[in-house]
Amino acid sequence: MTMKNLFPKMLGWAAVILLIAVFDVSAEVRTSNLYWAPEVATVGGKRVDALLNFIFYLTAAVFVLTQVVYIYYLVKYRKRPGSKAHYSHGNNKLEIIWTAIPTAIFLGLVIYSNRLWSELHSTPPDDAVKVDIVSYQFGWDMRYPGADGRLGKVDVHSYSVDNKFGLVADDPAGDDDFASTELVIPVGKPVHIYLHSRDVIHSFYVPAFRLYQAAVPGRTIAWVWFQTTRTGNFELACSQICGSGHYNMKAPIRVVTQEEFDKWQAGKIEAHAEAAKATSAARVLRNATASGRQPTEQNL
Amino acid sequence: MSTAALTSHDATSAHASQRTAVFGMTIFLASEAMLFAGLIAGYLVLRLSSPAWPPSPDLPHLPIFLTGINTVFLISSSLTYHAAEVAVKKGRGGLIWLLITVLLGSLFLGIQAYEWTHLYHEGLWFNKGGAYGSTFFVLTGFHGLHVFLGVMMILFAFLRQLGGAYTAESHTYLVLAGMYWHFVDVVWLFLYTVLYLI
Amino acid sequence: MSSSATVFVPGDAPAHGHEGHHGHHPHQGFFFTYIWSTDHKMIGLQYLWTSFVFLLLGGLLAMGIRFQLAYPGATVPLIGALLPSTVAADGVILPGGYNMLFTMHATVMVFLVVMPLLIGGFGNYLIPLKIGAGDMAFPTLNAMSYWLYVLSGIIILASFFVDGGAASSGWTAYAPLSSTAAYNNNTQIGQSLWCVGLFVNGLSSIAGATNYITTIINMRAPGMTMFRLPLSVWALFITAWLLILAVPVLSAAAAMLFTDLNFHTTFFAALGGQPLLWQHLFWFFGHPEVYIMILPAMGLVSEILPVFARKPIFGYKAMVWAMVAIGFLGFIVWGHHMFVSGMNLTLGAAFSVSTMIIAVPSAIKTFNWMGTVWRGSITFTTPMLFALGFVSMFVIGGLSGIFMAATPVDLFVHNSYFIVAHIHYVLFGGSLFGAFAAIYFWYPKMFGRMMNETWGKIHFFATFIFFNLTFFPMHNLGLGGMMRRIADPTVYEHLRALQPMNVFVSWAAFGMGLATFIFLWNFIWSLRHGKPAGKNPWDSTTLEWTVPSPPGHGNFDRTPNVFNGPYEYSVPGMEKDFLPQDEKAPEGARLEVH
Ligand code: HEA
Ligand code: HEA
Ligand code: CUA
Ligand SMILES: [Cu+2]
Repeated sequence: MTMKNLFPKMLGWAAVILLIAVFDVSAEVRTSNLYWAPEVATVGGKRVDALLNFIFYLTAAVFVLTQVVYIYYLVKYRKRPGSKAHYSHGNNKLEIIWTAIPTAIFLGLVIYSNRLWSELHSTPPDDAVKVDIVSYQFGWDMRYPGADGRLGKVDVHSYSVDNKFGLVADDPAGDDDFASTELVIPVGKPVHIYLHSRDVIHSFYVPAFRLYQAAVPGRTIAWVWFQTTRTGNFELACSQICGSGHYNMKAPIRVVTQEEFDKWQAGKIEAHAEAAKATSAARVLRNATASGRQPTEQNL
Repeated sequence: MSTAALTSHDATSAHASQRTAVFGMTIFLASEAMLFAGLIAGYLVLRLSSPAWPPSPDLPHLPIFLTGINTVFLISSSLTYHAAEVAVKKGRGGLIWLLITVLLGSLFLGIQAYEWTHLYHEGLWFNKGGAYGSTFFVLTGFHGLHVFLGVMMILFAFLRQLGGAYTAESHTYLVLAGMYWHFVDVVWLFLYTVLYLI
Repeated sequence: MSSSATVFVPGDAPAHGHEGHHGHHPHQGFFFTYIWSTDHKMIGLQYLWTSFVFLLLGGLLAMGIRFQLAYPGATVPLIGALLPSTVAADGVILPGGYNMLFTMHATVMVFLVVMPLLIGGFGNYLIPLKIGAGDMAFPTLNAMSYWLYVLSGIIILASFFVDGGAASSGWTAYAPLSSTAAYNNNTQIGQSLWCVGLFVNGLSSIAGATNYITTIINMRAPGMTMFRLPLSVWALFITAWLLILAVPVLSAAAAMLFTDLNFHTTFFAALGGQPLLWQHLFWFFGHPEVYIMILPAMGLVSEILPVFARKPIFGYKAMVWAMVAIGFLGFIVWGHHMFVSGMNLTLGAAFSVSTMIIAVPSAIKTFNWMGTVWRGSITFTTPMLFALGFVSMFVIGGLSGIFMAATPVDLFVHNSYFIVAHIHYVLFGGSLFGAFAAIYFWYPKMFGRMMNETWGKIHFFATFIFFNLTFFPMHNLGLGGMMRRIADPTVYEHLRALQPMNVFVSWAAFGMGLATFIFLWNFIWSLRHGKPAGKNPWDSTTLEWTVPSPPGHGNFDRTPNVFNGPYEYSVPGMEKDFLPQDEKAPEGARLEVH
């Protein structure tokens, strides 16, 4: 075979291999999660998956359609003895069509997408479990409300070695808050998290929750809430480069049944009360030695 | 076909080459404008997100009056520069006007240097006074650097003109330096307004 | 006269009253010919060679990244012992060193490879030739632009060897990590040099862009109307505008970052400053930047497809307006990098809309490229294969962009390998494929000889296959939950199952790296042994093909007169199947006026 004939064929084969690779992936989806997203564990995540799948099918269709046509042209219109190219500078009607159709698709998509976006960020329900999550180089501190069910107020200027949650002095709601190094949540209950950082930007990322949110130092991110659908152990990952320990900035997440959660919570509250006996309730968290870096003076 | 298009030959004629150079300078100044736009945008974001400005009551206010006078000096230097250009176009030397422009530009820098030291002693500096200090010194510093470059350019023109380098027909360099100088003035009006007045 | 002028074929050049032009340039010697040359062609070639050096460096850094991800904790073979102590200890890459690797990989690839190669190299070489000018409007400024680029490269790379090592907060340098020494083990020199390097690099870009715009507007040959400009020139023209308007904003941001680091200003500090301000400024530059990197490649590819399809480009004006639209819209979509950054959620929704809209002009371009090959008479030369590959790879990269433009999906895939897949499909499969196509296509013009076709095709297929094997699985890694910028994915239990895929990707990447050597060998071998090219080896229509290869100093002996658009191929009623821009259509040719 001459080079001339070989190359269009090779090009065709390369494309076929690519297509098979794509379809191979989509076929795998149904049988295993290795080539697709991990099994989803939140209500919102399911909605995200629906949109993700929708875009996947949309773009896969666009991809296959364009590439099939394209490769068909390449093969059909390859130079052959006697063949001559058609002389044409274009076609305005076609331009209009292929401007209008993608525009319509994109507008439809953005409506779908933005609706879901606001739905996912609707006001958190009142009965949500509240957790204050404070990130630092390189780890996580969680704070849960005590028996009063209310989290003590925080001032982002107040982070220090002695006050790793930045609790303000005069809010008694903070007195019974207890700390944890793992995120424990009851399955099926809405969970409202507050995100803070004591130093640089970190992020809260749990792929099975389909949830990413950056924690910006100096701010409180208060709009993230989710509702889990199954129990299990997950890993909380920091997915925003934050320094040399970034790759290892993680914390365990346990999604447990309500009973287990209650038990865990009761244990924590009790331990907190124990600790309070030694000093005073107000001082347990405000005096605890922070495991994280103390913000530099410049940032205070 | 646009008759405006030059060929590579036309570009060698003095008139056309000046036109090309002016065009290029305009493009360059557009990018300079974006540099200051970036700085000013940063300043506005920081200022608008700050609960108070100056952020703390013990920080000094900026000397509106002194700098107002300084602004007048800078603006008049644009006029004196223009006078120099007019003189050259009429076939005269324009030396005096160039010199006055250099002096006015230097005066501006001197007063600004005085203002910087003054504010430094009052407790405002790059690293003091938070975003208030940061933005003030970086923005005026960047602008001051431009004024300095402008003064150098005009000083250079002055020195060359001592030898009669520029004639009524051929003084592209003066035109370009003038564009730069006027641009630096206009930027200052913006800076004076956003930093001092509002 | 410069030495290259010896290639003029005698008698080819009826230099009417134009001897003066060559006369300006007495023999210039090595220094003025190769070092401080002000000839746009030599400057273009300088850019080209220098960017090759940086491509090897950036690629080597990528190999380091891939080695670490496949075999975290293992000793780097061969060169492990040579690595600076900030990057590796005893030949094992440190987590902080890994951060330097990808930060510098991206910085090198973006600012020292793709931009200089496409814009500096091809922009300089082609613009005057294609518009019928003798040189750029400001040759000295042009030379300065090149040397500022070299200087910026030295500054950026030197940072590996300073105390604390190179910048390590990603090419996006998010503050306050980047702006506070205390958060980086009290080191700041590397990050400061990064700021200075980008500032200098920016000056280089602005000098170049000023030159391009002035040249294109003012120095076109008679008859070369704006709508007769080849699309590559249009692309570079729009790119130059983006540079003028976007790069200074990065310079301003880099200056603030520099003063935060060294004078302890608080622009980006958490308290008293605004960390997100950095992101807004960076992405206001950064998004136009990605179009700065793709537009020239789009232009060059639009030039190559018609030649080998022997057809006019489909929808010339639509192509131009699509690029103009991309240029404009590119300035209002930056927030799509910040959907989940803590930015206002409604603002995110607005940016999502503009991002979807900006995909429309890209769609228009894709369909017009397909229209160009439709009913052509296609030959599959190496430049054509890369150009065709560009279109397919750009579509994949563009389509993955649609996922991320949908805010809720970005909530899941942000900062995952899905993004890494996207950027390499558009930047390697897009920009670099375009660059390779252009190198194979214009090499004969630049050096007077053809590159070897067989090696070229092997290079193409090896690159194409290994490229896809490397970067396609990254989509799956990303959906699988693998974060970008982590030195060791195996510390996460939920990522361990993906590790075989990481190993696979790395080996494919090594294959891609090796494929690059085929290219380099071909490039160098052909300088001496390639087939002589002649003036117009591809039977192409644009003006650079009407002068000798390589063109002499001053390019044209006589200013060309332009009569036609740039893509008159297979005009009915003509004997030849192409009509050069400076030839009047022969009697009977049925040109379509549009
Ligand atoms: C050359 C470079 C280049 C190009 C051209 C693009 C093009 C696009 N990019 Fe990409 N992008 C990058 C380089 C580029 N990008 C880089 C480097 C980053 C990461 C930076 C970092 O964080 O380090 C990034 C990140 C990035 C993000 C942020 C993701 C995140 O961090 O979470 C987003 C989000 O919207 C995005 C979207 C898009 C879109 C919608 C396009 C569109 O322009 C694409 C349009 C094209 C098509 C859509 C294909 C062709 C069209 C058709 C075949 C028509 C029909 C199609 C349909 C109907 C669906 N990009
Ligand atoms: C134009 C831009 C460009 C180009 C061409 C490339 C090319 C490559 N990139 Fe790069 N990349 C980016 C731009 C680019 N990248 C950007 C912007 C980022 C984001 C950075 C950030 O997060 O801040 C990134 C990040 C990035 C990551 C993610 C790192 C992380 O998040 O942790 C990875 C991982 O695989 C990667 C891999 C590669 C590979 C394998 C190549 C290959 O294509 C390279 C091929 C190599 C060559 C062409 C050179 C020749 C080869 C040699 C000299 C070596 C020979 C040796 C052997 C074969 C062993 N890149
Ligand atoms: Cu914290 Cu990454
Ligand atoms: Cu973008």
